[in-house]
Amino acid sequence: MTQPLTVLQSEETLTVPTPAVAVEDLWFAYREGSWILRGVDLQIPMGGFWAIMGPSGAGKTTLMRILAGLLPFPRGRVLLLGHPVRGELEPALRRSVGYIPQQLGLVRGLTALENVLLGSLARHRGWQTALGFFPRAEIERAMALLEVLDLADRADEKVFRLSGGERQRVAIARTLMQDPQLILADEFVSDLDLPRAAHVLAFVYRLARERGLTVILNLHELQLVQEFAEHVVILKDGRVVFESPALDLTWPLFREIMGDYEREALK
Amino acid sequence: MSAKRVAVRGTWQTLERRRWRELGFSLGLMALLAWLLNGMGFFEAGRLIQGAFNLARFAHEMFPPDVRILPTITGALLETIQMAFAGTILGFLLSFPLGVLGSRTLFPAGVVAVVRFLVAAIRTVPSLLWAVLMVIVVGLGPLAGTLALAFYTVGYLAKLYAELFEAIDPEILEAMRGVGAKRRHLIRFVLWPESANAILSQLLFMLEYNVRASTVLGLVGAGGIGFYMQAYLGTMAYSRLTTVLLAVLLLVIGMDALSAWVRRRYLLHP
Repeated sequence: MTQPLTVLQSEETLTVPTPAVAVEDLWFAYREGSWILRGVDLQIPMGGFWAIMGPSGAGKTTLMRILAGLLPFPRGRVLLLGHPVRGELEPALRRSVGYIPQQLGLVRGLTALENVLLGSLARHRGWQTALGFFPRAEIERAMALLEVLDLADRADEKVFRLSGGERQRVAIARTLMQDPQLILADEFVSDLDLPRAAHVLAFVYRLARERGLTVILNLHELQLVQEFAEHVVILKDGRVVFESPALDLTWPLFREIMGDYEREALK
Repeated sequence: MSAKRVAVRGTWQTLERRRWRELGFSLGLMALLAWLLNGMGFFEAGRLIQGAFNLARFAHEMFPPDVRILPTITGALLETIQMAFAGTILGFLLSFPLGVLGSRTLFPAGVVAVVRFLVAAIRTVPSLLWAVLMVIVVGLGPLAGTLALAFYTVGYLAKLYAELFEAIDPEILEAMRGVGAKRRHLIRFVLWPESANAILSQLLFMLEYNVRASTVLGLVGAGGIGFYMQAYLGTMAYSRLTTVLLAVLLLVIGMDALSAWVRRRYLLHP
């Protein structure tokens, strides 16, 4: 494995490309003894659009939460954008990593615009924002993002009044508001039907390309993976069991990898 | 017998066992109630019949209501409303921060335990006793009543709010921590808007309760209409007492209507 840490700290010695995410022998358990992750190894390059697949309970969400700095882990090594991570991310890194949880984590009682503005909190940690006052420049940025995501006319609508697809886009806008380099999205389109999910992913894909972002998605649908992801990783029983360019993962292969698991589950 | 049939039979037996348990529980509860009532003399027919006669006599003396006292009691009635509103708002202002401090969502177990103990201690004291205490502290009058209602409000609202905050979807908090939000941001942007509906709803409930409670605080000299209640009761001026009670009834109905209107108008969250 490369040692990107020193590389990032001093620009002149930048010789090896730093991976966006480097995970080495990562172990995790919510309860002692029952491991959810059992030695995950993973390297995702900068600018990649990667999908993580796997049966329920394989540890996909747990992996995402660890990468987002929300879970301290007992064993292994995680480097995010070249910085070592152990539990909570330090503020500078925090800003560079956008995380969209499965149920989006939007505040339903706030408007779309207010939710997007929350993405700027890492830049404004004073009391002013705690009282609800954001700098005008941030408000303009948030509006611009809503415009890009085709939500400008819904800006003042409370989130609980928005449709599923609109909420998804608000969550994306909030993450983009952070100005991240890396976006982690945990099955965030799983509540949408296929065409809508594809629509949302197309948005994310285009934006990621335009801005040179690295995106890691947990996805269930092979069609979506084949259409949007460049690379796919399959997690099973807490281990990486498959990794390839997304187009190489065909239906028969996918069924074969997932298959015995489903049969086991049915028993 | 096939495995499937055994399984169905097992389910059926579980179901039936559950029904018997429920039935047994209901019977047990009724037996308990009968035993308690018996202990209080509920099943002594003579006493109940005598009680009915007393009630009839009392009712006869109560009617017709003496409306000449209306100008006299109007001021006291307004004071009652004033006490209820001021006490509720004051109590609310204290309850929100205590609710935040008392929820494990944002604060460590030690802080939570201390706050919860404090709130439980406040809740233990009934509103009338708070009124007596406040009369001792600040003297007779509506200020004592207002403070008494404020304390009583804190005892309940702080607990309810703490529970509300603990029920907030952890994913929202997680997402907010993910964007680098601090505790003060979580309070302003998650706890408040996510619970606003329930906060308002419980606040209205407390206001309705306090309007009722404030009518009796005057019994101990803590201001409001209760003073007249006690005076008319003490001098056996029952027809005047009726007027007071009817006025209070109207006030309570009005308050409930106002609260229902606020709910319809502002509680939009699904």
